[in-house]
Amino acid sequence: MAGNKMIFISGGVRSGKSAWAENKILHAKARRSIYLASGRAYDNEMAQRIERHRQDRFYDGWTTIEQPIHLEEALPRLKTGDAVLWDCVTTWLANELYAGWETGTPCAAQPGCMEKKWAALQETLHGIRAVSELLVVVSNEVMDDFIRDEPYQRWLGRIHLWLVAESEEAFEMENGFAYKRK
Amino acid sequence: MHIVFGGAFNGKRQFVRGLPGCREAAWFEGELPRDSIPGAVVAGLELWVKRQLENGTDERELNRLVQDAIAHQRPRQIWILTDINRGIVPADPLERELRDVLGRLYQQLFLQAASVTRIWYGIPETLKGADLHENLHKNGR
Repeated sequence: MAGNKMIFISGGVRSGKSAWAENKILHAKARRSIYLASGRAYDNEMAQRIERHRQDRFYDGWTTIEQPIHLEEALPRLKTGDAVLWDCVTTWLANELYAGWETGTPCAAQPGCMEKKWAALQETLHGIRAVSELLVVVSNEVMDDFIRDEPYQRWLGRIHLWLVAESEEAFEMENGFAYKRK
Repeated sequence: MHIVFGGAFNGKRQFVRGLPGCREAAWFEGELPRDSIPGAVVAGLELWVKRQLENGTDERELNRLVQDAIAHQRPRQIWILTDINRGIVPADPLERELRDVLGRLYQQLFLQAASVTRIWYGIPETLKGADLHENLHKNGR
């Protein structure tokens, strides 16, 4: 039976949120542990880092699905009863919001572009919840600073508000401690 | 004075708008209320402080102006404060100064406030004082 539960966890860089999220998934004892990765390699070091993580997870019994954009394409690859970790909202948003920048037409500059992707994301997350035992969504805290990139931060805030409202549980990670906010 | 505190785009204004009696409140965005207005909401203080620093106002004078504004508005007033002090040290000297001045000002305001509520993506957490809803409800009558 699908559990339909969603947990949101957010924290600073190296706060321990990924390890915490992985633990949640492994404790769910689902048929499969799915690592839905939105990270994208922009240089060699990152490519190696991603590959090393993918291999580590493989030996721990994870199935990795790499989906930097178009999260909906991962949906057909999920099976009923999976536990899914999506890592993470911030990289997905950067990939989608700036998709097309190489040709001078980033999504952020096109009216309605991100709105469409946002609607698709909500639908996809509902779809993932419908089949999965547990969905854990990981994100970052990047709002407690000067506004460096207003469209990005505005979108991230909007997405986080929605995720917290939709989730059964929401946690803020600080220095290895997960504070339950909901 | 009540403080609603948190990072940018976390739903602070939305939270305040949802409090009883706050929809009709007089809002001051990036400016200080000059006259006594019951139930004033002050937001975007960091923009006001930035403008003062750009105009060469020193920290002592700036703090005095803030204290005057608070004294005029007693007892029921809400200050929405945006946390901008948890990032990397800025390259721009004015931004560094703004962080320093704002950090010290926030400490002072937290000390004075009857209550402090932190908002994390729409979820309120009381950091100080009695429940904000209760106080506002009582005061709003």
